[in-house]
Order: sequence, then C-alpha cells, then structure tokens
Amino acid sequence: MNDTKYDSNSLLRKGGTHIDSKMKNTLRTTETMAHTAPAEPLTAEARPIQQHQRRNPPIAGELAAIAQAQQGDGASFEILYNMHKRRVYSLCLRMLGNVAEAEDLTQEAFLQLHRKISTFRGDSAFSTWLHRMAVNVVLMHLRKKGLPLVSLEETLEPTQEDGPRKDFGTRDLALSGSIDRVTLERAVEELPPGYRMVFVLHDVEGYEHNEIAVMLGCSIGNSKSQLHKARMRLRSLLRQKADGRADA
Amino acid sequence: MTTKATDTPKECNEFQQELPNFFDTGEDQVEHPHLKTCENCSALVRDLEYIAAQAKLLLPIHDPSPAVWENIHSALLKKS
Ligand SMILES: [Zn+2]
Repeated sequence: MNDTKYDSNSLLRKGGTHIDSKMKNTLRTTETMAHTAPAEPLTAEARPIQQHQRRNPPIAGELAAIAQAQQGDGASFEILYNMHKRRVYSLCLRMLGNVAEAEDLTQEAFLQLHRKISTFRGDSAFSTWLHRMAVNVVLMHLRKKGLPLVSLEETLEPTQEDGPRKDFGTRDLALSGSIDRVTLERAVEELPPGYRMVFVLHDVEGYEHNEIAVMLGCSIGNSKSQLHKARMRLRSLLRQKADGRADA
Repeated sequence: MTTKATDTPKECNEFQQELPNFFDTGEDQVEHPHLKTCENCSALVRDLEYIAAQAKLLLPIHDPSPAVWENIHSALLKKS
C-alpha cells in the first residue's frame, strides 16, 4: 500500500522539465535580469525582514500596478502577472515537478490573486503574499489528489544513505565549488516529492520551519528532519553526478 | 578510502543524529566540539552548508507558456 502511494507520488515527477544545456544560457541571462530592479520601499518597518522577503525584493513600479489593479484595471493586472509569472511558475514547477500541472496551478494562483487583490493591505511584501497564495494553491491541489504532503515512508524508513556516513575518504571530501546551479536544479528534481517540498519551501524559498509546519500540517521536528534528509539525499545525488563527471 | 568500512564511531552516530537540530540556528552554520576532531563529520557539515547556501541562489528560470496568460485573460473576460 505504501508502495502504491509512493508510486502515485513519484508520478508527479514524470514529464517534469529538465534543464538541459540549452537552458544554461537562459540561466545566465535571467540571473542578471531577475529582480535587479531598484528597491522601492514598501513600508518603513522595523521588524526583522523574513528570509523569504529578503530573497524577493520589491520590483520598481509594483506599488502603482497593485493600486491600479485593486481598482480593477486589467492592464495593471497584466503588468503584475508579467512581473511575477516566472517566480510563481518556478515555485509551482519546483514543488510539483510537472510542467502541465505547474501551468494549471500558476493560472489558478493568478485567478485567485485577481479575486483577492483588493484585500492586499501591504502588511507584507506583495511577493511574499502572492507566493504564499501560490504555495497554498499547490498544497490544496495535492491534498485534493490525496497525496501525502509529507511522505510517511520517507519519514519512517530512512534509507541507508540517510543514515550516518563514514564511507568516504578525505581525498574527495569537498562538494564545495563542484556543483553548478543546473546540476543542483536537476538533483532537486530527482528528490522524492516529500523531501522536495520541504527543501524548496525552506532552502529555496526561505520559509521557516514553523511556517512550513503550518502549511504542510506536520510538526516542526518533522519539517526539520525532512529537510535534513532532503539535503542528505541531495548530497549523495550530487556526489554521484560529480563522480559521473569525473569518470566521463 | 581512508576509513575502513567498520561501524560508524559512536560519537559520529550521536552527532549525526542531532545534526538536523544543529542546523536550526538561522545561519545554517554548525558549530560543535565534535567537528574539531572528526574530519568525516566536518566534511558532511560543510557539504550540507554548501547545499543550503547554493539553494538560496537558485533563481526562477522557467517561464510559463503564453497559453497561461491567454487562459487567465479569457477567464477574466468571461467574468466581467
Ligand atoms: Zn564524526
């Protein structure tokens, strides 16, 4: 039974995109393009800025577009879509690992944004608010499909590679510097869905364990242990890839 | 391989059991006495810190197809 669950879970990844070498160029261009717009202060707030917010700085012109979209201006809503589509879609894609589903849910997230934008008060950064909405859309979708958000067997049956390690020597110790982003991105795609979810939310998106626990309906300890296992699995995937490259 | 494939030393086991909690200082930097003496666990921690640091740099690189906006647009038109 567990196997069935696991299989349906991993089905999600079938048909997922792979970043091939073609995209390496895109990666470079988008790196310089994305979110380099000058910061426009949203609110003069004294409270510590959450990691998520730090990684999603405000975009120039966003405030004006929000205000006009709140008044029902369609062109401004389209501007907001274009400002945020890549970020929202990438989030969906990383969580789901499937292009068709990620596009459907991107669509759903923006339709929900359209319904709710008048309720945005600027208490948090717009991107934080929107991404949270997108995460919820994805989680709702997975729940509807009856997929466990935190996979039980992944929690209960640590595989050998998740356990303590002692089987490598000092000659090949450092992973540091040996992986590029494309390799990491691909390794993330290979994570089991339960691991990937927590890894994407915590390490990529910058959510805290307490936030993730609420989102996924699990304990904080569970979120921590899933993250740790995800990183351990990534380490072993990355080592394999590094070895493969060395052998080639 | 410089280490023999024997059982993991007890201290390493204990350290690695607790490792998920050591990472929760907000900085993703682990400091622990065991690391001063154990090269294996130090390497493990360095790798995990490196992975966490690299993950922060994963930028959104995928764009949705134009059909996504077309669908949104037509759904909004229908509504109004
Ligand atoms: Zn050790």
